[in-house]
Amino acid sequence: MSRKWLLPITIMCFIAGFFLTFQLKVMAGISTVNPISERNTNLITIINDLEEEIKNQEELIGETRDNLDKLQEEQIKGRLQELQDSLKTAKILAGLTPVAGKGIVITVDDNTEGLKANPDDDPNKYIIHYSQLLNIVSELKVGGAEAISINGQRLITTSEIRCVGNLILINTTRIAPPFEISAIGSPRLLAEIVTASELAIMKLSNYPVDLKEVEELIIPAYKGDLQFKYAQTKGEN
Amino acid sequence: MKRKWYLTITAVFLVMGILLSLQFRAQENFASGLTMQRTENLIAMVRDLSSKRQNLSFEILDLTERLTAQKQAERDDKQLVSNIANEMNKLNIITGATELIGPGLTITIDRYMPILYIDIINIVNELWAAGAEAISINDQRVTANSAIFYAENSNNVFLTVNNHTIDYPVVIMAIGDAANLEKGLTIPGGIMDNLALFGAYPVLEKKDETTVVARNDTPHFYFLKEYKPEDTSSSESKPAANNQIHND
Repeated sequence: MSRKWLLPITIMCFIAGFFLTFQLKVMAGISTVNPISERNTNLITIINDLEEEIKNQEELIGETRDNLDKLQEEQIKGRLQELQDSLKTAKILAGLTPVAGKGIVITVDDNTEGLKANPDDDPNKYIIHYSQLLNIVSELKVGGAEAISINGQRLITTSEIRCVGNLILINTTRIAPPFEISAIGSPRLLAEIVTASELAIMKLSNYPVDLKEVEELIIPAYKGDLQFKYAQTKGEN
Repeated sequence: MKRKWYLTITAVFLVMGILLSLQFRAQENFASGLTMQRTENLIAMVRDLSSKRQNLSFEILDLTERLTAQKQAERDDKQLVSNIANEMNKLNIITGATELIGPGLTITIDRYMPILYIDIINIVNELWAAGAEAISINDQRVTANSAIFYAENSNNVFLTVNNHTIDYPVVIMAIGDAANLEKGLTIPGGIMDNLALFGAYPVLEKKDETTVVARNDTPHFYFLKEYKPEDTSSSESKPAANNQIHND
């Protein structure tokens, strides 16, 4: 009887010991990184604060641009029509106005199912990279897209799509999966060109991919800055 | 004796349970957004966001000044025209309507370099990321709607920008802070390193003055129209929003 008693306890001790060492190893790992992780926590707080402030600034910019537009329209009403029209066209071309029209909406997401099924595999093979978004956007432009946004970020001339670590940034704004790419243009043409290349490759790698043609979609205005320090109009110094 | 046995097992399970849950919590933390990033990346984010915040505050200052100037202009046509001209100047930089000069970087790619249109897309994207204000490729201005692609005939493949073929040498001109633009391309592991793997070495030159051409033609939009939200109540709700800000 007393022998039987020994066996389960031994096994229990083994298991507990195993977990303890495992846990200790993790704790040791954390404690050696501790000063860094503390620093990271501070950095994350700073980032969150900056992002909050930037959001408010962009709202203010959007509002002020609207007010300025309205004021201009009122003041110019019935006069200087030509000037007014060219200003309006320039604003639309620059991406400063929300726009609407026919087009397509592409949704792509990290392949979380795939990663779950292969937890030991390199996670980079399952997450969406900025280059995939850049490729889709470039193809949409070839297909004659007239306006594009990703997760509500309007792409203007100077918009970049890049990454810091594995965060994806557009207009220096962090965007997270799932990514919704909206493009105004000929739905058939746009769908044809993207499904033929980047989306096809992504589908092969089992990323969740969705594409729908939309009768009327709305793409928001660019709310960032237009600050130029280096470029000057030629012949005007 | 038997009771002690139970006690031991219970204690062991309790400890194990706690350890396990701790372990799970630790792993969960690792899976979400910013906490997953390395310190240097977080520092880069702070730097980028700070400079964006600064630019936005300049923009707000600009817009406020313009709003004041516009109000003062009332129905003074001359003033109105000059206000709008200033605004157009800025918009033209973005839309590519005018030829621009400024300091910057040129990237020259000759016929024999193994470079594809996709590399050009990546270079242009990196230049925007590094703060380029305007970019052209040979005689084509790069704007929001510019397609960078290729065309082929029986014996050649050509780079195309805005549906125009680009001849060699391909010269990409970018206006901006020349040093920053160069750094954007040459950072270790960046695009230049990447191209070097394929034996392609575009020539970078920092310039005190580069010229970026105007776009050839105004893009025509067939599908897009300006979206005007129905703002019936917005004019009444705005003063209330302003009050709130003041109360804070």
